[in-house]
Amino acid sequence: MSLSQALNAAVSGMRTTQTGLALVAGNVANADTPGYVRKTLDQVAVAAGEVGIGVRAAGIDRQLDIYVQRQLQVETTGGSYADLRADFYQRLQQIYGQPGGDNALETIFNNFTSAVQSLTTSPDSNAIRNSVLGAAQVLTQQLNGMTVDIQGLRTDCENGLGNAVDEANQALQRIADINQQLGPLTSQDGTAAVLRDQRDNYINQLAELMDVRVVAGDNNQVSVFTTSGVQLVGLRASQLRFDDRGVLSPQSAWSADPTQRSTGTITLLSPNGGKVDLLASKAIRSGKIAAYLEMRDQVLPQAQAQLDELAAGMASVLSDRTQAGTPVVGPPAGFNLDVGGLKAGNKIELTYTDSTTGAQHQVTIVRVDDPTALPLADSATPNPADKVIGVDFSGGMASVVSQLNTALGSTLMQFSNPSGTILQVTDDGGTNKIDVTAASTTATASTLTGGSAELPFFTDANTPYTGAITSIGPQSKGFAGRISVNAALAADPTRLVVYQTSPLTPAGDATRPNFLYDQLTKATRDFSPQAGIGTVASPFSGSIGAYLSGMVSQQGEAASGADSLKQGQDLVVNSLRQRFNEAAGVNIDSEMATLLKLQTAYGANARVMTTVRDVINLLLQM
Amino acid sequence: MSVSGASSSSTSLNVQSLVDTRLRLDELQRQLGTGTKSADYAGVGLDRGLAVGMRQQLSTLASYTDNVTTVDTRIDLAQTVLTGISTQAQNVRSAARLSGFQIDNTGQTQDQKIAKTALDAMLGLLNSQFGDRYLFAGRATDQPAVESTAHVLDGDTTRAGLKQIIAERNQADLGSGLGRLLIPPVVPPGTGTAVSVSEDVAGSPFGFKLAGVSSSLTNATVTGPAGTPPAIGVDFAGGNPNAGDTLKLSFNLPDGSTEDLTLTATTATPPGTNEFTIGASPAATAANLQAALSTAVGKLARTSLSAASAMAAADNFFNMDAANPPQRVAGPPFATATSLTAATPANTVFWYTGEAGSDPARGTAVARADQSITVAYGLRANEQAIRKSVQQVAVFAAVTFTTTDPDARDRYAALSQKTAGGLDPQPGQQKIVDISADLATAHATLDAAKQRHAQTKAMLEDMLQHVEGISQEEVAAQLMAVNTRLQASLQTTALLSKTTLVNYL
Repeated sequence: MSLSQALNAAVSGMRTTQTGLALVAGNVANADTPGYVRKTLDQVAVAAGEVGIGVRAAGIDRQLDIYVQRQLQVETTGGSYADLRADFYQRLQQIYGQPGGDNALETIFNNFTSAVQSLTTSPDSNAIRNSVLGAAQVLTQQLNGMTVDIQGLRTDCENGLGNAVDEANQALQRIADINQQLGPLTSQDGTAAVLRDQRDNYINQLAELMDVRVVAGDNNQVSVFTTSGVQLVGLRASQLRFDDRGVLSPQSAWSADPTQRSTGTITLLSPNGGKVDLLASKAIRSGKIAAYLEMRDQVLPQAQAQLDELAAGMASVLSDRTQAGTPVVGPPAGFNLDVGGLKAGNKIELTYTDSTTGAQHQVTIVRVDDPTALPLADSATPNPADKVIGVDFSGGMASVVSQLNTALGSTLMQFSNPSGTILQVTDDGGTNKIDVTAASTTATASTLTGGSAELPFFTDANTPYTGAITSIGPQSKGFAGRISVNAALAADPTRLVVYQTSPLTPAGDATRPNFLYDQLTKATRDFSPQAGIGTVASPFSGSIGAYLSGMVSQQGEAASGADSLKQGQDLVVNSLRQRFNEAAGVNIDSEMATLLKLQTAYGANARVMTTVRDVINLLLQM
Repeated sequence: MSVSGASSSSTSLNVQSLVDTRLRLDELQRQLGTGTKSADYAGVGLDRGLAVGMRQQLSTLASYTDNVTTVDTRIDLAQTVLTGISTQAQNVRSAARLSGFQIDNTGQTQDQKIAKTALDAMLGLLNSQFGDRYLFAGRATDQPAVESTAHVLDGDTTRAGLKQIIAERNQADLGSGLGRLLIPPVVPPGTGTAVSVSEDVAGSPFGFKLAGVSSSLTNATVTGPAGTPPAIGVDFAGGNPNAGDTLKLSFNLPDGSTEDLTLTATTATPPGTNEFTIGASPAATAANLQAALSTAVGKLARTSLSAASAMAAADNFFNMDAANPPQRVAGPPFATATSLTAATPANTVFWYTGEAGSDPARGTAVARADQSITVAYGLRANEQAIRKSVQQVAVFAAVTFTTTDPDARDRYAALSQKTAGGLDPQPGQQKIVDISADLATAHATLDAAKQRHAQTKAMLEDMLQHVEGISQEEVAAQLMAVNTRLQASLQTTALLSKTTLVNYL
C-alpha cells in the first residue's frame, strides 16, 4: 500500500462519482419523458491481488421489471381496443338520438303513427293528409340520414385503419433500425440503454395498434411477432399495406375473394417477399386495428342491416297483399293461384301434409328476376321451417311450371298452368301420399288506386320495394338509405283515402287510413335474423314498433357493455402502469438524495486527494 | 402499498383521476339540468327497451285523446242539429193538427208558410259543417248533404222538384176523376141489376185499391173484391134493399192508409150525401147506386185520395238510397200511367246529395277510442227518422189551393191530418230520439275512454320517470360529494407538489 495507490483510488472514486452525477442529471432531465426507464450506476470495486485499489463504473442498469413490462404491453393492447370500441359505440349511439328527444328515431316514428291515427278520425281533412305525408317524409329522411351517418362511421374506420397502418409501419421500421444499431454494442454501453428505451417506446406504440409478442434474441436483438405467429420485424421490418377504398356504402363488404371485396384489407409484405392477408388469416385480434375492423365489418353493418330491416318492414306491411288460392276440388285436389301480379321478390307459400306421418311441410316459392342469383338458400326467408325455391319468370308460365316440377317433384306436388297466369298446384291424386292444405300468394301493390287498401306508400328511390333478390344480395341491403315516400302519393294526397276510382271512394271513407294504422302498429311480420335481432331458429316476429324498440334496446345494451369493458380495462392498465412506474419511473426525491450522496462522496474523495498531496509535500520537505 | 409523491410519472396518473372526477361532476350537472339519467340509450340501463315501448304507448294515448276530443265536439254539434230538426217537426205537427183553411193570395195557409220556413231550417241544419266536414253526408264528408229548399220544392230548368212530382202523381192517381176506378153504367140499361166497381189496370200502383166490401143490403148479392183487375159487384137481382141498409167499401190509398165509403140506402129523392135512392125496381136501384157511387168516389178522390197522392209522391221523392233512386210516374201521359219508373239525377232533383250506401248509417264514421274500442257516430240525412220528418214538412209546404175549388177545404183538412199523423212517432220505425240515443251512447263511451287514458297516461309517465328520470335530491347529494372529493384531491395535489426535496436543498 502506498500513497500513490491512495491517490489512484481517490481519483477513480471521483471519476465514478462524476459518472454517477451525469446519470442523476440524465434521470432528472428525462423525468417526464414517456417510456423513460430510470438508470442507475453499477459500481464495482477494482482489486489487485487481494487488495482493493479503487472503484470503477461497471455499467448502467435500467431499473426495469421485465414481467410487469410485458404484462403492461398486453393490457395496453386490450385497453386501446376497448377505448376505441367504446368511442365508436358512443358515436353510434348519437345516431339513434336522445331517448324521447325530438331527433330520436322512435319519436319520429311515433309522430308518423299519430298523424295516421288522426287521419282515421278525419280522412277528409286536407291539413291532416298533408301532415301524414310530412311526417312520413321526416321518417324517411331520418332513416336516410342515419344510413349516411353509419356509413360515415365506417368510412372513418377505413381512414383510421389507413392511419394505423402508417403508424405501424413507422414503428416497425424504427424497431428494425434500432435492432441493427444495437447489434455491435455491448450491454454496458450508455447509448445501448438509451436505444433500448427508444425501442421499448416503439414497441409500446405498436402494441397499442395490434396484439404483439416480443421475443428477445442474442446481440440485443428483439423480434416482434403477432400473437398468431406472423413475424413483423426482426433485423428487417415487414411492410404493412392497406388499400383504402375511400367512402364506404352499405354494399361495401369485406370478402376473402379479392374480386368481391369492396373494403380495404391489410397485407403484410415480409422482407423476403412473402405476402399474407392479415384479415383473411385473422392475424390481428386486439388493439386499435382490431377495433376498427370489428366496427367496420361487424358492428356497423349489423346496425345498418337493422335499419334496413325496419325500412323493409315498413314498406312491405303497407304494400303487400296476401291472397289465398281458390280451392280445386279433386282428385287431384289443390289450389289455383294467380301469379300474374307477382313481382321480383314476391312469394307463393304452400303447405302440404304428409298423409302417412301427418307432418306438415312448408314451401316458399320466390320470384327471382336475376338468374345468377339462383338457386336460393333456405335462409332467404326468415322462416326456418320452410324450403325456399327461387323461380325465374322470364320464360313464361311454361318455364315456371317446369322449374317447379323439377325442383319440387320429390314432394309429390304437381304444378300446371291451366290458363293465362294461373298456377295450379295439386296433390298426387289417387295415391294420396300428400295433401296440399294451403296455398297463398303475397304480391306487392303497384298502383295507388288498385281497388284494395294496400298501396306502395314507401318506394325504393323511384321503384316499388318488392324484396327482390339479385346476385348482389337482397333489395333490403342499404334500403334505409334509399327509402322515400311514393312521389305519386306526395303529389296527390287524396290517394291516402281514395283506394279505387270506380266506384270512387268517398272523401270520408276511413278504410285505407284504418288499414295503414293497423298495419303500422299491430301487424306482425317475420324479420330476418341476419340483422342480429332474433335467431335463425326462432326469428323475431312482431310489429314494426316492437322491432324498433328491440333494435334500439340491443344497440344501447351493446354500447353500455363496451363502456363497461373500457372502464374495466382502463382500471387494469392504470394499476399496471403504476406498478411499472414504481420500479422504472424517476422519483425526484430519490434522485435528489442520490445527488446529495454523490456530492458528499465527491467532496470526500477530493479531501483524500488533498490529504495525500499534503503528506507527499511533507515527505518531500524532509 | 407505497405512497408516491406528486413527482413526475405518478403525476400523470393523479391528473387522470382528477380529470375523471371532473367528468363525473359534469355528468351529474347535466343530469340535474335536464332531469334525465342519460343523453343516449346506453346509459338508461336494462329498461331502455321498456322505455321505448312506454313512449310508443304514450304517443298512442295522446292521439286517442285528441281523437276523442274531436269526435266529442262533432257529436255535440250533431245532437244540436237533431234537436233543431225535432223542434221544427214538432212545430209543424202542432200547426198542421189544428190548422184551419184560410189561404192567402199565394194559395197557401199561414201554417203551410210555417212549414216552408221549417223546411228551410231543417235543410240548412242538415248541411251543418264541422270545419270542412259535412256531418250528415255519410262518407262523402266533402259534399253537402242535401239540396237547397228551392231546388227541392221547385226543381231547376232541367230537373223536376217535389211540386212537379206531386202534380204528376196527382194526375196518375186521379185518372179520369174516379181515382182510377171504373164504375160503368149498368148494362143493359134499364134492365140490368148489377153494379160493378173495379180498378182500371191490374197491378198499377195508382189510385184507389179495393180492399174489401161489407154490406147489410138485403136481397143483394155482393161479391168481391176478386179478379184481375180486382172488382166488386153488387147485384140487386134478388130484390130491392131496405132503407137504412148500408154498403161499405174499403179502399187502400196510395200512402198506405185506408178510407171507407159507406153508402146508405134511402127512400128519399134526391138522396143526400152518400145515400142512394131505392128505386122502383132493382134495375132502377142499381142505376141509382151507380150514380151515387160515382159522385161519392169522385168526391173522395178529389179530397182524401188527392192528399194521399201527395203523401205518396213525397215518399217516392224522398225515400231514396244508393240502390233505390226516387221514383216517378212513367209518362206522359200521366193520367193513364200504370207504373213508376226510376228517376235519374239528370231529370230529377235528388234531395240527398251525400253518400247513400245501404249499410247502417252509424258505420259511416267510426272513431277509435282505444286499442280495440271503436265508436260509430256516422249520420246520413236520408236516415228514416230524419227523412220522414223532412218529407212530411215538405209535402205540407208544397201543395197549393185555390178558392174556386169546392173540395179545397176538405182536401186541405185531409192533407193537414195526414201531415200531422205522419209526424207522430210510429211503432217499429226509427225516431229522431233513437238517433240521439245512439250518439249519446257513443259520447259516453268516448268520455269513459278519455278518463281511462288520462289515468293510464299518468301511470306511464310515472314509470317512465322512474326508468329514465333522476331523483333530484339524490343527484344533488352526489354532486356535493363529488365536488368535495374533487376539491380535496386538488388541494392535496397542490400540497404534495410543494413537498419535494428540491425545495430543501
